[in-house]
Amino acid sequence: MPIQTLPQEVASQIAAGEVVERPASVVKELLENSLDAGASFISVKVEEAGKSLIEVVDDGAGIPAGELHLAVARHATSKLRSAEDLFHISTLGFRGEALASITSVSRTTITSRTKDAASATRLRIEGGIVGEASAVGAPPGTVVRVEDLFYNVPARLKFLKSDVTEKRQIDILATRYALAYPHVRLHLIQDGKPTLQTSGNGNQREILAALYGADIARQMLEVYAQEEGLGLRGFISPVALTRSNRREITLFVNGRPVQDTALTAALLQAYHTLLMVGRYPLAALFLSLPAEEVDVNVHPTKAEVRFRESGKIFSFFTRSVRKALMAALPAPGMDGFSSEWGQPKWRNLDRDSAQPTWSEPLRRQPAVDWGEENAPPPEPPGEAPVQEAQAPVFQQPRVPSLAAPILRLVGQIASAYLVAEGPDGLYLVDQHAAHERVLYEKMMAQHLDAAGQPGKIPAQALLQPALVELPAAAARLVTEQLSLLEHLGFEVEPFGPGAFLVRAVPVLLSGMDAGAALRVLVEDFEEDETPLQSELEARVIARVCKRAAVKAGQALSADEQRALLHDLEACQSPRTCPHGRPTMIHLSVDLLERQFGRRGAR
Amino acid sequence: MKISVLQENLAHGLSIVSRAVSSRSTLPVLANVLIATDEGRLRLSATNLELGITCWIGAKIQEEGSTTVPARTFTELVSTLTDKQVDMNLNVRTQTLNVRCGASNTDLKCIDAQEFPPMPVPDLSDGIQINVADLKEMIQQVAFAASTDDARPILTGVQVSLNGNRITLSAADGFRLSVRHAELSSAVPNPVSAVIPARALVELSRIATDGEQVVTMILPPGRSQVIFRTRDTELVSQLIDGVFPDLVQLIPKSYRTRALLSTASFLKACKQAEIFAREGSRIARLNVQAGGEMQPGTVEITGQSEETGHNQTVIDASVEGSSQMIAFNVRFLREALDVIKTPNVALETNSDTSPGVLRPVGEESFVHVIMPMHVSN
Repeated sequence: MPIQTLPQEVASQIAAGEVVERPASVVKELLENSLDAGASFISVKVEEAGKSLIEVVDDGAGIPAGELHLAVARHATSKLRSAEDLFHISTLGFRGEALASITSVSRTTITSRTKDAASATRLRIEGGIVGEASAVGAPPGTVVRVEDLFYNVPARLKFLKSDVTEKRQIDILATRYALAYPHVRLHLIQDGKPTLQTSGNGNQREILAALYGADIARQMLEVYAQEEGLGLRGFISPVALTRSNRREITLFVNGRPVQDTALTAALLQAYHTLLMVGRYPLAALFLSLPAEEVDVNVHPTKAEVRFRESGKIFSFFTRSVRKALMAALPAPGMDGFSSEWGQPKWRNLDRDSAQPTWSEPLRRQPAVDWGEENAPPPEPPGEAPVQEAQAPVFQQPRVPSLAAPILRLVGQIASAYLVAEGPDGLYLVDQHAAHERVLYEKMMAQHLDAAGQPGKIPAQALLQPALVELPAAAARLVTEQLSLLEHLGFEVEPFGPGAFLVRAVPVLLSGMDAGAALRVLVEDFEEDETPLQSELEARVIARVCKRAAVKAGQALSADEQRALLHDLEACQSPRTCPHGRPTMIHLSVDLLERQFGRRGAR
Repeated sequence: MKISVLQENLAHGLSIVSRAVSSRSTLPVLANVLIATDEGRLRLSATNLELGITCWIGAKIQEEGSTTVPARTFTELVSTLTDKQVDMNLNVRTQTLNVRCGASNTDLKCIDAQEFPPMPVPDLSDGIQINVADLKEMIQQVAFAASTDDARPILTGVQVSLNGNRITLSAADGFRLSVRHAELSSAVPNPVSAVIPARALVELSRIATDGEQVVTMILPPGRSQVIFRTRDTELVSQLIDGVFPDLVQLIPKSYRTRALLSTASFLKACKQAEIFAREGSRIARLNVQAGGEMQPGTVEITGQSEETGHNQTVIDASVEGSSQMIAFNVRFLREALDVIKTPNVALETNSDTSPGVLRPVGEESFVHVIMPMHVSN
């Protein structure tokens, strides 16, 4: 075949493939246009999962009659003038491609009227071929009606998922935008049925209920933090509420939904040691930062962004989330497990006692009211940070210290669990997990000095060095990490090929066989790939503590049991072990009374 | 079996042997105390298979015999008997022991003595005579340094070595060691050495009363047991198998800093520091300052914790050599100072990472070594 320039239609269809890959992408592009136009009300109507109709109506600025035909041309936009503008983009769109791409794969009608125009203008485009503009009567704003999407790209049509999936995608997308823009009234109508209607009154929790369901929305914790031009708000799940994948993690950067693995990692870092392995939190978080701090022009659908100072942003992100999490970390009650272990009947009993009310979760938290007065500005992206930068840091909600309840020891059962009474009922404490947490925090506390800088953990020298022989791979790992080990209180020196002398062990582990302690660490190194230094230390410490902690099946004396509870009370996050398993289960007096049929048995 | 004993003697005998009773054994007979007539006296024995204790008390024997009685029940019963004389009569067929004392009349269910593990009968002629007071002091000074962790069983024992007319006890737990020598009244023909569980030695020092002059130690060949015998009591213990580390080579031969201080003041300072160090990692920091021309040297002992506070004691000391900062586990220091009997003690160090040595001044027979803690300043 000879080389030839592709016809215009083919070229735009190829380009459209990047931007418009499914009906949800059309909804996204049109929604963003409406939001950029400053709309306060947006209505989205979808028929047959978007294949026959997607109509977005807004009351935004509108397009002047004379510019309408330009709006559908490729690389035509009102949002950008020069290349420099790319680095402080405050609008969601800027590429000038969305409308052009959509119109090239559908039959599109655009009706628009600016506030001061006498009448609206209507333009019809079919498969990229622009028709004649005509004057019609319409309210101010823009209506984009996309019919027969992909009618001229049958291959694309074939690759669409089932209608149910595509509808769901649109639902999720619209809900996420609704969450990000709570002050915009947003209606979504699918096949004539309203699936989302927000009031535009700024109450995010209502929208959260649409996204996750009322039950989960009620449990979600609020995050609100500001610092040096950075702002973070949104919702995260408490530790008892998890999913087996990262799909429920929604992240917005300057009002733009992104899929950023690094930011997701920062979020997971905040949950570090609090969640079980393989479980992920739910989150809808909105990060705002000065527009010039972020490069959004790296991905056709803008799903990826780059940060100028990523380290600073991630650390702010992690810290803020962690703080919010710590403020509301409850001991999992029996019903806390229901989200993971199916629906034990405990749950229903407990639910009945507490009528779900919207006020309840707010009361439990250091209330950051998203109501009108206290709410941060509805975040016109790019402007907000200036104002936020001046907000003094102490305006952040004060986080109550997360102490464990004061526990009175009742006894030990099965040589594995301690039974204790707290102010609000019965607590069952897993002695191994609890001791692990105690050791972990003690060691981390020794590891970080008063200024929070990593220091050296006190070590107890051994009378006779312990000789440890390791296989070659493990030996190499130990050799590479000698200085880290020394920081952690292990003094190890090479002693011939594959052999090491342990001269000192961390004081906290002095009850443990020195050789075994080193071996545990090596196992850990082998599993890790190349973790960050700080993470590695925490992980190594967690690992050692797991080994050093009392095991289930070990009978403890009453004094030991009491000391363990006492130490646990002193911990910062006493409710989970460093690997995220719960250390305690709470059975409230109320629950017990119900179980014994003392109060309104079912 | 038909016997009469004094309540006082019986209660005393039971209190001695009951320490060897095994409360949680799958062998029911180990929860019992053997009572048997033995050459005009009554023999009480208990064992947990690792440690066995026997005690003989005077009795009026009308009919020989033996049985085993439940230790706890019997001990409780005897301790509440009020009359002087206790008459016991065994119904062999039913293994029921009738105990009469004054108005009290009790029938106790017993287990046949045949089921009780046989206790070794030592050949006393091979025994080594050790002064009781010496032995008790040696045990007190050494046994506490033994490990309580079963990970290295050999370290839960105390090594007892006899060579010529010298007896040496040594113990270590991985972080500290204690070695104590004493003289024997008569030399042993061949050097012998055994590792005895520290717990057994502690029991021995408890039951060997000061009234007795000597205790006889017997190591029956090929039995992996040690027997300590006094006039009225006998303790049998299993030995710990394995190679005991050569502790003497771990004792530093020289020092760069030597501080002489009052044992009592040092101990008191450590006790105070421990109140605060308890919360942390039991770290006591010692700052040994060499004195100048006119003023004496000092040792400053510091204990601190994030939560409770900070304590510091400065003790005058005569310091030889250079100044030295060093940190120790304060419990180790306190436990060692607790057993040093001389009014003054010497602390010898080389560096902050090498072992510290405590020696009683004017008493060459005891030495205690503590490994330092490595702490950042």
